[in-house]
Amino acid sequence: MKVEFKNIYKNFGAVQALDDVSFSVPEAEILGLLGENGAGKSTLMNILGGVLKPSSGSIIIDDEPLAFLTTIKAKELGISFIHQELNLVNDLRVYENLFLNDEITKNGFLNKKEMIKRSKDVFEKMNVDIDPEAFVRDLDTSRKQLIEIAKAILFDSKLIIFDEPTTALTNEEIKILFDIMREFRNNQISCIYISHKMPELFEICDSYVVLRDGKFIDKGLFKDIDEQKATELLVGKKLAKEEIEYDESHIGDIVYEVKDLTLNPYFKDINFSLRKGEVLVITGLFGDGRGELAEALFADRKTESGDIYLNGNKMKMNSIISVMKSGVSMVPRNRKERSIIADLSISDNLSMAHFTSKHKKLYVSKSEEIERYEKNKKITQIKAESPLKKITTLSGGNQQKVIFSRWFELNSDVYILDNPTQGIDVGAKSEVYHLIHDLSLQGKSVIVFSSEYTEIKKIANRVIVMYRGQINKTLSHDEINEVDIMYYATGSNLKEKK
Amino acid sequence: MKKIDKQVLKENSKKTLKNIILNHNYLFSLVLLLVVGSIASPNFLSPANLIQLLRASTIIGIIALGMSLVIISGNIDLSVGSILGLTAAIAVLVYNGTGSIFVTLMFTLSFGLVLGLFNGFFVGKTHIAGFIVTLATLAAFRSLTVQLGQGGPLLINNDFYYEGLRKIGYGTFLAIPYIVWIFILATVGVWLVMTKTKFGRYVYAIGSNEKAAKLSGIKVDLMKILIYGFAGLLTGLAAFLYISRFGSVDTATAGRSFELDAIAAVAIGGASMAGGKGFIQGSFFGAIILYSINAILNAFGVPAFITDLIKGILILGAVLIQKSLNRNKEN
Repeated sequence: MKVEFKNIYKNFGAVQALDDVSFSVPEAEILGLLGENGAGKSTLMNILGGVLKPSSGSIIIDDEPLAFLTTIKAKELGISFIHQELNLVNDLRVYENLFLNDEITKNGFLNKKEMIKRSKDVFEKMNVDIDPEAFVRDLDTSRKQLIEIAKAILFDSKLIIFDEPTTALTNEEIKILFDIMREFRNNQISCIYISHKMPELFEICDSYVVLRDGKFIDKGLFKDIDEQKATELLVGKKLAKEEIEYDESHIGDIVYEVKDLTLNPYFKDINFSLRKGEVLVITGLFGDGRGELAEALFADRKTESGDIYLNGNKMKMNSIISVMKSGVSMVPRNRKERSIIADLSISDNLSMAHFTSKHKKLYVSKSEEIERYEKNKKITQIKAESPLKKITTLSGGNQQKVIFSRWFELNSDVYILDNPTQGIDVGAKSEVYHLIHDLSLQGKSVIVFSSEYTEIKKIANRVIVMYRGQINKTLSHDEINEVDIMYYATGSNLKEKK
Repeated sequence: MKKIDKQVLKENSKKTLKNIILNHNYLFSLVLLLVVGSIASPNFLSPANLIQLLRASTIIGIIALGMSLVIISGNIDLSVGSILGLTAAIAVLVYNGTGSIFVTLMFTLSFGLVLGLFNGFFVGKTHIAGFIVTLATLAAFRSLTVQLGQGGPLLINNDFYYEGLRKIGYGTFLAIPYIVWIFILATVGVWLVMTKTKFGRYVYAIGSNEKAAKLSGIKVDLMKILIYGFAGLLTGLAAFLYISRFGSVDTATAGRSFELDAIAAVAIGGASMAGGKGFIQGSFFGAIILYSINAILNAFGVPAFITDLIKGILILGAVLIQKSLNRNKEN
């Protein structure tokens, strides 16, 4: 399918989301769509998927100009949209999800047999083993993502939009996905691929289009550019901040110790210590118990045994607020689910941890809250029109900065950051790394839960690699490299011993 | 730099007429109803009638204030009608026994609070859905009330009533009934709690994103107990006004289906049943709108049997107007 965007404009109120965007998507190619959060990628793709109407401009599909699409029209034309957020019904079976709203019937009754058979065929074609009769809720996130892709194959799509499909996938599954995409290309199906991960873009995409601030910036072939050039196109003239200079001179004595922490079946016998000013990264693969460990360190989950010591004193782990008051903060993973309070203002979101652990007055003073915002704005570089607007008016990166500020307000000794750069763009990521570095220079100790190698390399003084709920290996800064991390994260050393 | 920020801030918070109308569009419904009312009856907008309207809305209005907190926190309280019934019934006995207005008021407040905390305990500690807990106590409290009055009414001793409580139910200050003053004061008080204190912030936070609220250090379970307690306390106050006004409690019917009127008032006032959104002043006007509808139906001489039908339609209409105005605001 050939798609051409012609002079597309889209505004939401005063915000110009798309500003005269024109380019074409070649047939039987994989096009990488590049842009920071808020660059207009999602808006444009939602226009192609029929979710949004453009303010003006046209979309030319196989030589037929259209002013806008509807979701029904997009489906008829064979446009599939694989969303970053999963659109599956957990309480239905896999095949029921695949055929949701497109059920095959016989004499007015559901033809279960036929639907299961077709589902099986698709999974075979994809070379993955998923039982069509399993309940979706019982599947891993990565499997769920594959079901979304199966949907696109099932309904003979001519153009497939992938919006960050690999966030939840393992390397093995990413390989399968890329094989499927190459197969699509051979079958004359066009793909649009959105991702923040440069190596993936360079591996799978043929051509690229760059959007920035709603405007078309550049297009070309990936083979003609390198990652450096791609990053420059992405962030524009804003120079990517200089690299963090690694040093250990500010690292002091041990302040935080975890002893024999156990919570079956998630993690077992976790022992580690953390020095003043140190950045410790805890990494691993899906199912290694990291998420549960992070929750347990913040008393969001009760453990079976084990103790935690802060400055030599045993911590009371009976409530989140007592952990906060003793000097530990946590930026949780999955901002939208665990941090953002969507109905409250930027200022109230920022001050929430202050309210619960430090605020003593009867009333909340508006001017004090605005002062607090102004102070933090300088530290974390929040870009917002007004602190009284709802937090959802901000981009992902700015929302995350507000959440960082929420915890900086507590001036804790230990900061636990659970996947702090999830779903934010390259520029904002770099700012987060600098914030982490600044924390360590101020003598704060930081534990970062992360699975992104490039990130680990940039920020870690030390890395703990977990495998199936246990600490498999600790690597010092000089020992950090991707191969070793994967080696220990997959438990290969333990398998060799056997 | 700082100056510019302040300026931006000012412009953003500037209360243009348009913004007020969009943010508080229940006012639109109210004006519309008053216009319709004045067409139905020339006396509709007379001071006497407007005061009567306010007076009629106080009891449901005060209950709706407490209901607002429960709804904004993402929950529901179906038991308020039964809490009112039980509290009012026992309050009659307390008043007959002591003859003291003060003791009776203290009793209604604390007993309402206790019943609310009882609901809250089950919601907060056992994590049974608020709908189910209060559905159970709706039945249970009513049953206790009926048992207390053996199915019949409980009357306040006449000598006491005319000398004491009745003065609160019927007395006025600056031409406005005491009970309306109490309603207004209660609204201002709850509004202050919800907009100026961190307790209010927590209520909105829990309704908006319970997980995030918990991870920010809010004791969500405790908050739920307190929120139901708050609703119970205000219902207790409403029970006090109820006996002041009527001088008796029919144990089978006192407060029956008040929960529905209170929920309707909160919804008309702009709260979202999903939690996180709502205004206290909205619920105040929501209750008045609800009673304006009643008054207009009376003024038009609509037969009693179908008033609830028309009321239902008008409630849907009021909420619909508010929704479509909200949508305009977002686009």
